[in-house]
Amino acid sequence: MAQPLLEVADLSVRFDTDDGFVHAVDRLSFTLEAGEVLGIVGESGCGKSVTCMALVRLLPETAVVSGRVMFDGIDLLSLSSRRLRHVRGRQISYVFQEPMTSLNPVFTIGRQIGEVLRRHLGLSRSAARARALELLRLVRIPAPERRLDDYPHQLSGGMRQRVMIAMALACDPKVLVADEPTTALDVTIQAGILDLMRDIRERLGTAIILITHNLGVVADVADRVLVMYAGRKAEESAVDDLFAHPQHPYTLGLLGAIPRPYEGEGSRQRLQEIPGRVPSLRELPTACAFADRCPRADELCRTQVPALREMRPHHLVSCFHPGAT
Amino acid sequence: MSVAAETAAPIDPRARRRRLLRKRFLRRPMAVWGFVVVVVFVVIAVFAPWLAPYGAGATDFNSLLAHPSAKHLLGTDELGRDVLSRVFWGARASMQVGFLSTMLAMVIAVPIGMIAGYYRGWVDTVIARLTDVLLAFPFLILAVGLAAILGPSLLNATLALGVGAVPGFIRIARGEMLALREEDYVPAAIVNGANDATIIFRHILPNMTSTLLVQATVTIPGAIVGEAVLSFLGLGVQPPTPSWGVMLQDAQSYLAQAPRLAVFPGLAIVFAALAFNVLGDGLRDVLDPRTTR
Repeated sequence: MAQPLLEVADLSVRFDTDDGFVHAVDRLSFTLEAGEVLGIVGESGCGKSVTCMALVRLLPETAVVSGRVMFDGIDLLSLSSRRLRHVRGRQISYVFQEPMTSLNPVFTIGRQIGEVLRRHLGLSRSAARARALELLRLVRIPAPERRLDDYPHQLSGGMRQRVMIAMALACDPKVLVADEPTTALDVTIQAGILDLMRDIRERLGTAIILITHNLGVVADVADRVLVMYAGRKAEESAVDDLFAHPQHPYTLGLLGAIPRPYEGEGSRQRLQEIPGRVPSLRELPTACAFADRCPRADELCRTQVPALREMRPHHLVSCFHPGAT
Repeated sequence: MSVAAETAAPIDPRARRRRLLRKRFLRRPMAVWGFVVVVVFVVIAVFAPWLAPYGAGATDFNSLLAHPSAKHLLGTDELGRDVLSRVFWGARASMQVGFLSTMLAMVIAVPIGMIAGYYRGWVDTVIARLTDVLLAFPFLILAVGLAAILGPSLLNATLALGVGAVPGFIRIARGEMLALREEDYVPAAIVNGANDATIIFRHILPNMTSTLLVQATVTIPGAIVGEAVLSFLGLGVQPPTPSWGVMLQDAQSYLAQAPRLAVFPGLAIVFAALAFNVLGDGLRDVLDPRTTR
């Protein structure tokens, strides 16, 4: 098989804080094929965003990153910052959670999209403007000709997120990292943005890493899912398999926490929460990180770190007691 | 119907913002007054050769130390020079020093302050502490010291006052940078492949222009007063070239006989400085997005 587009191997990130190291990501490995949508799921603070920020070295200097990130045959972690800038925005681009503040308030939309184009592709002012218009059309912003000269504060949240996506897609990147792109938006707008993501993948063949804490979003757009817990991979599989045969008790917990109001009166039950909280990541764990919150935990779980096992074809789980129920 | 007429604003957003700012500005009579006075002084400075009734050094030995009259609206000095004309010509030195030294201070200080705020770390520590040391000297003392080193001339006074205003601007630019670098559009620019220079000067600088503008309008009157002080002390404009400070210096010897020789240039300094300050205050209110009126 050909080399995957993006290959992350043994990625570890720790932050050097005043009270010692915090291990945000611990030996995480995953791959992304061209044109694939990978969902990364987990609670707040489980290392999803840090992982993706580490890919193109966006973390502050207090972060110590180790491991290997191979993108299209180049090692991103050891690339010079000059060459890294040619990857950022050109090959790998990002959409952040906060569309309200991620656009510069003093420039028009057209100019901000145009700037990326002019920087990476060396387009002239008028060519950049024409392409920006095309991009706004691609992300389905109504009346794009007029929006081009609008300032960010004149757009709604959903529109701004579309502009951010247009900007991210400006140079036709191979990978789009979307860090909770819909979290700050209301539900109807969310659906529109997710629709757009699907559309982009189909029309442009862009591979997407979608970070979210919403399994519903993953089910909607992703091909493959990576469930993270406390900086490690808890479970990884194709999206259908994960929903049909969840293995890790944490995944089961997440699934139990999805509200299902439309499944008939009889089946309606209390939402299941996962007891406890994400453990502090001060020291490297010597046990399963989920043990304290897990109904299945036993002595083994509290003394050893479970290794990843392939429970079903292409379905990896790190748990001593996996299974559906 | 009237509602529709009112909401039918121009669609162009820039025009709308400009209109809003103008409306807010016009609602502040003091700011408008300041603006008008500033414009009057600038016009006088630029068009002094045409506006002044007499030349800067033209003497009329038939009327020495004359009282105000139709011929000499503000009277004459000990050499028979027309005071009104000299006040007009003197505005040149004041405005020139006011604007140029402030621009000089901004050109030097803003990049330094922004770099300190953006990179933080030891660069910031060094710059911020040095700024604190310089700020410990009063602005005028610093300027007088520099002017004394550089030697007396209008150019050197401009340099001295400009350099004297640098620490204040560094502090403002650094403080703004510290706040603005935390904005989400900064990482957004980084992921789009922008380098540091692009981020600092193209993304962040435009976001601090209103703050810098306000700081400039309070630095200019400081420089105007500074120029008067330096010239008064003989460190600035050299007589017989007119400047408000030089006029005050000349008036000193005749204070008993003709106090008006000190009063008129003094009033000019007061009005110019006050006008800039009031204008700056107004601009600060108008440009502050939290202002609702």
